[in-house]
Parts: sequence; structure tokens; C-alpha cells
Amino acid sequence: MVGRKKKDVVVTNMKDEYIGHSIEVTPFADSDIEGGSLSMGALEDGGPGGAVPAQMTVSVEEGIEGGAEMEVVEMKHSPEKKRRVRIYSQKFRKEWLHLKEFQGWLTEGITDDRAHCTVCDKELLAGKSELLKHSRGKKHRTRAAKSNPNPPPVQHGLSRVIDEDGMPHLLRIVDLRSDTVTQPSREMKKAMMEATLGDDVFSEDPTVKTLEDRVAQMLEKEAALFVPSGTMANLICVMTHCWGRGSEVIVGDQSHLHLWAQGGMAQIGSVHHRTIKNLPDGTFSLNEVRGLVRDEHDPQSPLTSLICVENPHHNAGGKAIPLNWMDELGALCSELGLPLHCDGARLINASVALGTSPARIVQACDSVSLCLNKGLGAPMGSLVIGTKEFIAKAKRLRKVLGGGLHQSGIVAAAGLWALDHVAPRLSWDHTHARALAQSVCEEHSSAVTVDLKDVHTNVVLLHCDNIRVNAKKLCQRLASVTDEESDELSEQIVVMALAISDTTVRLVTHCDIRKEDVRSATRKLKCLKYIKLDVHLPANSCSRVSVVSPLL
Amino acid sequence: MYREDVLCRSILGNIPGRQTRQYQSPSHTPTTMTDFKGVVVDLRSDTITKPSDGMKKAMMEALVGDDVYREDPTVSELEKRMAECTGKEAALFVPSGTMGNLISVLGHCEHRGSEVLLGDLAHIFLYEQAGMAQLGGIQPHIIPTNPDGTFDVDEIPVRLRYEDVHYPRTCLVCLENTQNVCGGKVVPLHWIDKVGEVAESVGLPVHMDGARVMNASVASGVSLERILRVCQTASICFSKGLGTPVGSVIVGPEKFMYKAIRLRKVLGGGMRQAGMLAAAAIYSLDHMVHRLAQDHHHAQLIAKAINEEKSRNVTCHPDDVDTNIIIVNLNPETVTPDQFCERLLMVSEDEINETGDGGVLVKVMPWTTTTVRFVTHLDASLDHIQAVITKLKYVIRELDSIH
Repeated sequence: MVGRKKKDVVVTNMKDEYIGHSIEVTPFADSDIEGGSLSMGALEDGGPGGAVPAQMTVSVEEGIEGGAEMEVVEMKHSPEKKRRVRIYSQKFRKEWLHLKEFQGWLTEGITDDRAHCTVCDKELLAGKSELLKHSRGKKHRTRAAKSNPNPPPVQHGLSRVIDEDGMPHLLRIVDLRSDTVTQPSREMKKAMMEATLGDDVFSEDPTVKTLEDRVAQMLEKEAALFVPSGTMANLICVMTHCWGRGSEVIVGDQSHLHLWAQGGMAQIGSVHHRTIKNLPDGTFSLNEVRGLVRDEHDPQSPLTSLICVENPHHNAGGKAIPLNWMDELGALCSELGLPLHCDGARLINASVALGTSPARIVQACDSVSLCLNKGLGAPMGSLVIGTKEFIAKAKRLRKVLGGGLHQSGIVAAAGLWALDHVAPRLSWDHTHARALAQSVCEEHSSAVTVDLKDVHTNVVLLHCDNIRVNAKKLCQRLASVTDEESDELSEQIVVMALAISDTTVRLVTHCDIRKEDVRSATRKLKCLKYIKLDVHLPANSCSRVSVVSPLL
Repeated sequence: MYREDVLCRSILGNIPGRQTRQYQSPSHTPTTMTDFKGVVVDLRSDTITKPSDGMKKAMMEALVGDDVYREDPTVSELEKRMAECTGKEAALFVPSGTMGNLISVLGHCEHRGSEVLLGDLAHIFLYEQAGMAQLGGIQPHIIPTNPDGTFDVDEIPVRLRYEDVHYPRTCLVCLENTQNVCGGKVVPLHWIDKVGEVAESVGLPVHMDGARVMNASVASGVSLERILRVCQTASICFSKGLGTPVGSVIVGPEKFMYKAIRLRKVLGGGMRQAGMLAAAAIYSLDHMVHRLAQDHHHAQLIAKAINEEKSRNVTCHPDDVDTNIIIVNLNPETVTPDQFCERLLMVSEDEINETGDGGVLVKVMPWTTTTVRFVTHLDASLDHIQAVITKLKYVIRELDSIH
């Protein structure tokens, strides 16, 4: 005991059960005690009889090493039950964020002895009982009930996201996974609500008729048919062309029809895929096509009934197929007596990239499928375009597939609005895509590369070397925010992208991506310099948030 | 625009290729559409309903996301609600009842050489373009349907295929409630339960084409959950009596929904921001279900009015009308369904003078060679129905006076 410092300490929040034990204490703001453990053992024998007061003054001795250990030596003063003066300052404790009562509204406050209620937008004292009292208050409960329990999905601007530790964050989420994620704008919705409707199964919906006529005219074909999706549009086209049993279709081996339609033309249409190797620019060898066409007199062979082309070619990076090649393919098909179908899901993007009308691109095509729900931003819908006879058959197939919708004018109206207001601005998406690609090029990273020449439309393919980083890791990294990064950028940015193979990450710009989103995304992409030669993302680096898909 | 053309031409009395009519109205003077100042009531189907202002508001305010990534919160909410109210594990939003049924049949009959037992008047068999065969390679095996929409339960074990290299394999039993062709009949609950029992005893799942099962539930006062208890899956439409512009839902076990999602995708039913349509469906669940009773009441009024005429030529019994569908029988010797429908789309001066109010035109659908179908719905108010009754009485009396 000799040589150990003695101090008088006022201890608040005392309880009977603490006597005889060691308790953890936190110091007052103006205290010269470090806090830590306080041993109440001495009070067991010589303490005051009866109940222990909530506040008492004790004489303590600090530990031999000093600092965090203290031992009560004697009770100095136990005041009568005075009104407790709240002067202690509890620090905010991260463990509270796990508690159910604090989920969804509690965050750290401005100073470390404060907490913040995001629902009431109010600073609170960081004491558990105080916070519990607040959470039970009528005003808080009313506001909490009113505020949306399901935060909206990825909205551009800042989004509130709860991470796996229950901590809410304000992030800028830039969703570049696909141009299908676009939200219908207020004006688009207004157009939808004001549309004149009818029953399209009876062919009485005037808005659908208007859309079909407009798109047919735009592509200089005879007729068009509104369908719920691009998958259905392509499936209908293939099945209509391949009306007889035992048909075969020549289709690129990297095409959407072959890879991403679940084998629909075979599964549902009983049509055989005959693939031809796609070249990096999305085309294929016309000579090879000749070699693939079947001999109709050979009973061992199915009958080649159709040739398909995809423009722009999505897997190749949204490349617009050159006009002269399209014309040559058309000439070949005529020569072979075979129809030509164009999967033009993003045809308007191709037309902007090539600087020509969509009609010119598909001049040689007998049928076209065109999507409204991608870069054009409509909530759903696609069109099949062809001759009147073709569309009459296509209509039957649409019905049997289950695509005969009733008052579909309400969604067709969105398509019409998109053609008027979104199509003219598609070049911006291409500009944004180039800006993103440029930002990666400028880093001269050998781990993640992109060729600016390959960016024709709104798609950017980032190639990973698969040694230092693979596509999945890159996507995860882009969707994560580290402490260092948020300090450097002064912003928490999440970029959502899709790994379309082990080595390729796809970014797709669209009408919901604004200039500020592109700026943030480029800043984030430049953080790729974190992915250096020998440094992988450390296992326990302070990753504050990791968002792979928004929490709803 | 074919149908509009036909209807307009019938107003003008100029239908190309038509045979001489068997009846002659005494002083029939057709009027043109531009002159017509009366009421047009469309009772061809309950699919023609347009979304109300409240429904549109709900659609505009819906939170949406990409449903192909399963990120649309409104679609998720609808699916959750439908699963709950039907007592099933999960649900899936699809563009149409045809697709709902197709997905269900394909989902249950995954292997080559499958067969499905269903009624010979089932919508799946008659009006889905043989989808299960055309697209799924599945054979339908029909059972004769009774006038009340049921079929003989004992036919199930009789027609069930046993294992034999000559036979396909029976994979599914399909029911329909309400039964459309039979006149929107509510099939008895005890019959559904019996089918379920028998199907279970032979190891077959049951799928219900419940396009209008909401009507069945309201008419019988039995909950959806109870009606569907023995059914493993069901397809339920929102775009009919419930009045949404587009959409149906499949309900069933969670495992089945994984298959259903894949099938929906391959058929081309994967819609993106489908939450706008799902919002209409949610609105209809909250506001449109209970009012189906009004449609049933309107159907009863029409049936009673026809019955009261005691006509030789046009008959209908209110007891045959369970829900919102009325099948009107015509005497084949005096008038064909096409002619009757045409007549309902014409007005004569005498008729206007007698009935007043500029006249009424009623659109209905020829149903079979001797029947015509009327379907009441939310866009046909009581006033419209009164107008239809006025028209029907006039036309029936006119027909009776000639024959």
C-alpha cells in the first residue's frame, strides 16, 4: 500500500450488488482518473450497513502500474439521497448498434459522448437508458412508423444503406450493372397514366397500336408487335421464322440468343442452334456461314431456316456492327434464300454510334427485335418488327407464350415517351461510358485494362488479368468502401458492376446515370491504384461497408 | 382493328359476306356511330376494365426495381401478400393467366412423355392454343365436364396411366374455378377436396386455373386459402374482374417457384420494373375484391330480366348464374349467336322512341353455336346494367313477335 497514490473519487450509479466486486467505471469529463476497473472488495467488511447509496465518495488507490486499476480503500462520504446531477458522460458504444431497439435509427453523434437519431434528426446524449427512453417516445415512434421501413432501391444521389453490422451509411451508389435498372421518370409515368387504353387481346388498345405503327415506320417495315420482353421478342421471331418441324438457326456463339435465353429456341421452340464463331467486333465470317447451311435433301440434316445477327453485339462490349457488313450479310441471306433476323435489343444505341438511322441498319433484315426497357428506360416491353404476314404469325405465338396482355397501352405509353425523350439523349450514355473507360486507361494499370477503341455504345468491358485481381474481386472491391478511400475521396461511393466472366467486368451507362455519378464513378475507378502489383485487399482491412446489391 | 370494323359495320348494316337474316325487324333503321348519342355497354369480358384513378395513383407512386434481378420491392410485396392470402409458401408475378397456367403445367411436368388430366371444357385445353403440347411436349388427357364445372372424380384413377412403355406418365390434375365455359360456375368445395384426396392417393399434384378464383371466393364466402388447400399450385388473374391492366400470379411451394422463375424467363415473361403493374394488383387486393359481389348481383339482375320475359327464343336461368358470367341460350331455329350479338349492336328509331335516352348498344360475345356470353365487371355500373336490361327486353320481345 505504501507508495500507491490515493485519491478521492465520487462514484455514481452505484448498486448494492457491486459491493465486494470489481466494476468497470468510466470517468467524468473533467476527471483525472483513467477509468477501467474499480475493486469494491474493501467495502464488504467495513462498508455502511443497509442499502448502498447511488452516489458515494470513496477513497481509492490506483494500481501499481497506475492507470486503469483502482481499489476502494474506504468510504469517505455517502450523501443523503440527493437529486442526482447528471454530469457523467458516457461514450457512444458501437455494441448498441446491434441492439434491436436501436436498429434503423441510431448512429454515432457529432462528438463521442453523443448519439444521433436519424429518424428525428436529433443529437442525443450517449447513454443507453437515455436512448431507450427516446426510442419509446411518442414523437420518435410516430416518425419511425412514417419513415419507409424499406429504403428505396438504388436511387441516384445518396442512398441510406444498413451494413452487416447494422450501421447505416449514406452512400452514393452508381448502378452500372445494366441499363435495365432505370427507373421510370415522373414525366414518363404521367404519360403512362394519361394513355388511352383498351383490351389489346381484342386488338383494341389504341396506345399499343400507336407504338407498333410508330416503330414499324421508324424501321421502315410493315408492322410491329408489342411484347413483354426482349427474350420473348427474339423467341417469337425465331419460332415464327422456323414454323416447321426440324429447323436449325445459324447464330453467333457469343450472341445473347445463344447464351442468355436459357436455350429457349430449343427448349420451347424445338429449334436447333447452329453456332458460328463470333469475331471480336461482333461479326462472323460470311464464308463460314455458307459452309454451315444444310443440304435440304439430306434426311440426316435439320433444315437451316434462319440466320441471326445481334446489333449492337452485347458480349463483344456493345459494339455496333458495321453497316457494310450488315449489307453483305443481307446479300448473302438473299442469295441463300434464308431470312435474316436482327436481335436489336439496343438498336437505337447502334444507330447513334454509327450515325445512321435504325432503318438503314436493318434494311436487309426480315425481322427485328427492339427493346424499350434497356437504354430507352421504359419499365418493360419490347417489339417484334417484320412483314404483316410475319406479325400475324408472331401474334399467335405471343398468345401461346403468355404475352397477350390486356391494357398494355399503359406500358406502351412509356415506350412512346421514351422514343420521344430518351432516344435523343442516348449519345450521353455513350459519352459517359467513354469517360469511365478513359479513367481506367489513364491509370495504366496492368491488372485492369480497357481499350477505348472498343467502347462504341454504353457498354464498357474491363479486363482483369486474373493474377492480381479477377472479375469477381474487382466487382466486390468496387462495391466496397474502405476507410482510407472514403477519407481520400471525402465521399462513400459504391459502384455496382457485373462480372460477366472470370476476367471481365461489365459497366453499362444509362439514362439514370448523371454527370455527378460519372464523376464519382471515375474517382472510384481511379482508386484501382489500390490494386497494386503485390497488394491484395487485406483480409481485415477496415471495410466499413460492402454492398453487392442494395438492401430493400 | 378487326373487331371495331365489324362492330361499326354492323351499325351501318353493311356486313360483307353475311347471309340473309332469319329475322326482320319491323322498322329497322340502322344509325351510324357518329349519330349515336346513347349508351354503349361492353359486356364481352371482364378483361376490358380500365384502371381507376386510385389504381393509377398507386402505380405512379410504386417503388420499383429490376424484377429480373428480383429487386423490385413492389413485386416482392405483392408476391408475399398473395402467398399469405392463399396459404402457400411463395408466389410469382407473371404477365398473363395463360403464362401462369403454362408455367405451372411445365413446372409440374418436367420430364418427357408427360400427361395432364383436365376437364374437356377447361380454358387450358380450349383457349391456350394447346400451349402445353406446342411448347412443352405434354399431352392433355380430357375428362368430360359436367354442367356445374366439375368432372367425375372417379375418372381420375380410371384414366391414370400406370407404368407401361405404351403410356405417357400422368403428372398433374388441373381444375378450373370459376369454370368459364360452363358460365362462371363456382365448383363445389367438397368436390375440390375430393379431387385433392384422390389425386394425393395416386401421387398426383393438383393445379388450379384460378383466373377468376376471387369471384369464386366472394360468391361462396369461402377464403382463398380454404379453396386452394388441396391444390399445390394455382394461377390467379388480376387483369379480369379485379381490374388491373396486366398481370397474374402463380402461387405454390417455394421450390416450385425456383422452377417457375426459370420458366418465366425462358418464355419471355421476365419484366423489369414490373412493380408498377404489381402496384395495381396490390391496389386491387385492397379495393376491388369485395366489390366483385356487385358484379355478381348485376349478373343476377340480367339473368332475372331475361328469365322474366319467358321467351321461346332467348332463355337464361338465374340459378345457373353463380358469379359474373351469364350464358344466354338461343333457339337455334330462330337466331344464331352472331345475329343476336349484331342485333344488340343496332338501334332502330322505334326502339329509341320506346326506350328513350338515345338507345343502348350492348357488346357481347358469341359463345357456342347456340349461346352468347355476357360478363359483368367494374366498368359496367348499375345504370349500365339497367340500360342493358332495357335493351334486352326490347330485343327479346322483338324476336318473340317475329317468331
